[in-house]
Amino acid sequence: MSELNSMSCAEFHDSAAELALGVLTGRERAEALAHLDHCEACREHVRQLTATGEQMLGLLPTAEPPAGFETRVMDRLGLTAPAPKPLRHRKKRPAWGHGFSPRRVLAAAAVVVAVIGAALGGWGLHAATAPAESSTLRAGTLVAASDHDHVGQVFVYNGETRWMYMSVDLESGNDTVICQLVGADGHITTVGSFRLADGYGSWGSPAWTGDGVPVGARLVSANGTVLATATISATT
Amino acid sequence: MSRSSVSLTVQTMGSHADRLPDETLLAGLGAGDADLAVAFVRRFQRVVYGVALTVTRDPVTAEDVAQQAFEQAWRHAQVYDSRRGSVRAWLTTIAHNLAIDVLRARTSAPVDPADLPTLLTAVTDTPERLAVARDSAAELRRALAQLPGAQARAVAMAGIYGMTARQIAVTEGIPLGTAKTRIRDGMLKLRAALLPEDVDDE
Repeated sequence: MSELNSMSCAEFHDSAAELALGVLTGRERAEALAHLDHCEACREHVRQLTATGEQMLGLLPTAEPPAGFETRVMDRLGLTAPAPKPLRHRKKRPAWGHGFSPRRVLAAAAVVVAVIGAALGGWGLHAATAPAESSTLRAGTLVAASDHDHVGQVFVYNGETRWMYMSVDLESGNDTVICQLVGADGHITTVGSFRLADGYGSWGSPAWTGDGVPVGARLVSANGTVLATATISATT
Repeated sequence: MSRSSVSLTVQTMGSHADRLPDETLLAGLGAGDADLAVAFVRRFQRVVYGVALTVTRDPVTAEDVAQQAFEQAWRHAQVYDSRRGSVRAWLTTIAHNLAIDVLRARTSAPVDPADLPTLLTAVTDTPERLAVARDSAAELRRALAQLPGAQARAVAMAGIYGMTARQIAVTEGIPLGTAKTRIRDGMLKLRAALLPEDVDDE
C-alpha cells in the first residue's frame, strides 16, 4: 500500500469530516486511512470530528415504538418474561449479509466498534486506525484481478471474539458477489454472498470456521470468476 | 465488562431495575437476565426507535432496525467500554448504522431534500421536556441552528443519512468539490462549538 502514503495533512483535512461520518469510500478512503496510519495529529482531528458526529446523532428526536415492541424484542432474544434461568438461550448466530453499506469500515458489530474505536473519540465506527490490540486485527486491500486497482478492504479480527468484514467499491454493478477467506493452508472458505449496489457492497460475519487466522481473501463473481484478492496481514 | 457485578443484581426485580445505572442494565442484558434486559429495552427503546424512524422514515422498517439494534447490544454487551462513551451513545451508533444500511440497500434516494428543513428544526429545537439535555447538546443545537443552510443540509445528509459527498452533490445540483467543502466547513464549525467541552471532559 506504499503508493497510498502520499496524502498531505492539508489534503487529508479536506476529507476528514467525510471519513469521520463514514461517507468516504473507495480509493479516497484508503488513502485517508493510510495517512492516518502515520499521523497522530490527523488521527486526533478525526477523533474530534467523529465525536462531533456522534453527538449530532444524540440530537435526533426520540419516538415511541409501536405497542408490544418490548415483548417482541425479548422474544427475538429468546428471553422470556422475568423468570430465573440458569442457562442462556442463544439463537444460532446468523451471518449478516443484507446489503450492508460500505460507509463504515466494519459491519454494525459492537465488537468492531470497540476495537477500531480505540484510537478514535467516541465509538469511531467510521474509520479504522491503530486498534488497541493490533496483533489481533488484520487487514488487507482488495486488488482487482483485471487492472490491479484497489477495490476494497478486508478486516479480520481474531481476539476474544472473531469477525471478518469486507467492503467493496467497484466502478459499477449490481451483481451478487461472493466473499471468501483463504487459510494459511490454502483452504478456501466461502463466507457469504452479497449484492452490490452501483459497485458498492460489504459483508460482515461474526466468525469463520477452521483453525488459524485467514491470510487472504477473495471476491468472486457469482459464476466463479475471481474479481479481486487481498493479502491479510497484521495492522501496525 | 465484569459479570460478577451482574450476579449481585440478578435478584433485583421490577421497579428497582429502573434505578440501576445503564451499564448494569447492559451487563444484565448481555448475561441474559430477563429483568435487567426488559429494563434496558424500556429505558432505551425511544432513543433507538427514534433514530431508526428518523433515518428510515418507515415505521415497520424502523421497528425491525430497532429490534436488530437491541439484538446487537445483547450480543456484544461485553464489548461496551464506558471509557469511550455512554451506553446511550453506543446504542445510538448501533441503531444509526443499521438504519443507514437499510437506506443504502434501498434504490430510492436516502432522503428527500424537502424533508431536511423539518428534520433540522426537530434536531435544533429544544422542547421543555428535553430539559435534561446536557450543556454540550445545547451548544451543538445552537451551532447547528447557526450554520449556513447549505452547510447544515450537507452535514445532515452526510451525518444523519449517510450520504456521500457525491450523492449530496447530485441531490443539491452542486459540484462535488462544493459538497465536500460544505461537509468539511459545517463539521468544523460544529466541532468548534463542542471543543471547550471536549477539553474539559478529557
